[in-house]
Amino acid sequence: MKLKNIINYLLVAFLTIGVGSCNNNDEDSKFDQTPTQRLQARQKELNDLLLSSEFGWKAVYFTDNTQLGGYTHLFKFKNGGLVDMASDFDSDTATSNSEYQIQLGSTVSLVFTTKNRIHLLSDSDNYPTDALEGKGYKGDFQFLYYGQENGEIIFKTNRAFIELHFVKATAQDWADLPKNIDMIANVIGAPTRPLFRLLETNDGTTIHQFDFNFSDITRFATANSVESGSSMSYNMGIAYTPTGIIVDPAVKVGNQKLTNFIYDDATGAFTATGTNNVTATIKYSDSPLMLTDDYKMLLAGNPNNVYAYIYNLTNTASTNSLLFKTTLNDLNASLPTGAQLTRIQPWFNNANGSNYIEYRFGNASGATIARYYHYFTVTEDAQKKVIILNPLQWKTSTLSTAPSITAPVFLKELDDQLMNPQGLYFIEQGGLPYPAYTFTGVNSNFRMTVYPFQ
Amino acid sequence: MKFIQLYKKALLISTLVLLSACSSEESLTASILDTTKPQQSELDVWIGQIYLTPYNIEVLYKWNQNLVDGNRYLYPPTQTKIKPALEIVQRIWLNTYTTIGGSKFVKLIAPRQLVLVGGVNLNSTGTKTLGEAEGGQRITLFETDYVDKTDRESVKQFIHTIQHEYIHILNQHKPFDEKSFAKITPTGYTANWYETKDAEANEEGFITAYAKSNIIEDFAEMASMMLVNSKDEYEAIIAGITNPKAQSDIRAKEALVVKYFKEAFNIDFYKLRAEAEKNTADVIAGN
Repeated sequence: MKLKNIINYLLVAFLTIGVGSCNNNDEDSKFDQTPTQRLQARQKELNDLLLSSEFGWKAVYFTDNTQLGGYTHLFKFKNGGLVDMASDFDSDTATSNSEYQIQLGSTVSLVFTTKNRIHLLSDSDNYPTDALEGKGYKGDFQFLYYGQENGEIIFKTNRAFIELHFVKATAQDWADLPKNIDMIANVIGAPTRPLFRLLETNDGTTIHQFDFNFSDITRFATANSVESGSSMSYNMGIAYTPTGIIVDPAVKVGNQKLTNFIYDDATGAFTATGTNNVTATIKYSDSPLMLTDDYKMLLAGNPNNVYAYIYNLTNTASTNSLLFKTTLNDLNASLPTGAQLTRIQPWFNNANGSNYIEYRFGNASGATIARYYHYFTVTEDAQKKVIILNPLQWKTSTLSTAPSITAPVFLKELDDQLMNPQGLYFIEQGGLPYPAYTFTGVNSNFRMTVYPFQ
Repeated sequence: MKFIQLYKKALLISTLVLLSACSSEESLTASILDTTKPQQSELDVWIGQIYLTPYNIEVLYKWNQNLVDGNRYLYPPTQTKIKPALEIVQRIWLNTYTTIGGSKFVKLIAPRQLVLVGGVNLNSTGTKTLGEAEGGQRITLFETDYVDKTDRESVKQFIHTIQHEYIHILNQHKPFDEKSFAKITPTGYTANWYETKDAEANEEGFITAYAKSNIIEDFAEMASMMLVNSKDEYEAIIAGITNPKAQSDIRAKEALVVKYFKEAFNIDFYKLRAEAEKNTADVIAGN
């Protein structure tokens, strides 16, 4: 009988399941449409949106704001999956045609399916720094659709999930794109401008200064505080606009975030203005941001110190100014063929108490063929923290018996810069693969890089 | 047995209940999926005529992230450069095998998908991957944007990729004599093949540096280098080798390639090479 009981229970169980399975299991759907329909609607929504703007869309794409700047792209989407595109990646700002698709992956995305300007950011074989070898400019060309906000389309990039906004473009945007390229030289800075450059922030009451260095290859700038004890820095990607630059990350001054800098051609400065007198300005300065007492070791009573511009060492230093280089080139051009100025070597506090600049000339291979010495005395301007070289006689030998000569005309232009009556800044220079100092003329664009022998 | 009958009835009832339980009255309507055919460009139609219909090979040139390595910074081809690149593949690879192997040869043994990538696939070792063959089904060709039809070296490099990958596919259908092949230069294989220059590899009995990576690649390089180069160019490579042992090793590998094509596919490899040489010359001359 036991078995029969089991069978009975089983039968009852089967019947219960059978009856129970008739339950209505149409659950309340949270949506009116199926997931497929909703995705299709979203695809159509994005495509309609892309096609809706008369002059297309503009996107300033910062691919990695820790090391690269922004690249402005203009898109005009057309029926049949075609798109016209222009960018300021390089000087070719012309419009090119290619294809796009609205693809479905993890979500709805816009994909530029055949090559156009935006793909220049994603070329493994074209990278701005060694660290980016194989990664190009880290660009993406598949953008995940995240909806719209204030008339802008919000995307996230497929690889790095960087938020990217498509803003409605205007006819002016297309016409003005080449002006972005024109702006580059202003950001790099002109050699005719003063030699020193800084980022200055003003939160309405306090001013802070940061040295400013920009790499046009990466479109990235670094700005470190020049105030002693401060490790504050602003590092930012830069995108060019017809009127200035956009930076990302924003420069935060007080609690305001500044991103749009406007260029002023009169001063060469870029200024971003917030509210309540808050500003950030990238500008030029006539004097070094940090004045040092380095010059004091050149004054009388100190040990013998010798420095030199060397034709095959400090000639390539980035700290040599354009004025120095052109003066040097002019001088070399005036020499007989094969001859060149190989050293500009100031000697301070020689054993006999003298100071002079040795101008040493060599042949094409550098072997010395002539020397000229211009003697001077040293005074200081302690307030400006500069030394002044007061010119004395010229000689062709340092022997005390050697006669003075008339000042060589071909050396005058260069020598006058070093004998600048307003003085010279003398500052230790980092960032070069050898120890170095610079002599910089006061109120002048003359800066010469020298190697210290001691 | 009364009980058994009772059970039978009960079973019948429960079966009926179960069967009717899930009946639904809704009739099927049209699919909610978008089944309309995507718009075909002139290029798509041409690809259909040249690749898809005769050879059942699908050409994928529009970007699809699932077909490429997402860690690499690659980009799709420029629209206008796709047809010239595909014409080179068609004339030098497809037509050569079709002429010598018969009209069905490639159709039967072929990759089912050809993926085109416009950009360079740069590796961390500084080398560039020119092509990939996956499971014998899909060949990916990189650098299609860089192919210059009028430049012999450019055409050779590009066609080298597909010739090389196709040898892998042939090997997957019929294996070559790996035992004999492995005995020729048994000690030269290395994962760091890229540290060797081609000329150095030649002196060790390898046709290229890449051939040093393993015997599978060695065989594919051996066969593809013979197809990519003209007879004279190939002979010049061999003649340029100073080490007689290396020369004879490469000749031994050549013999195994020739034997493989004869035995596996009844193809005279030298005829195949002559046809490839003729077609390559025609493409470069613009005929």
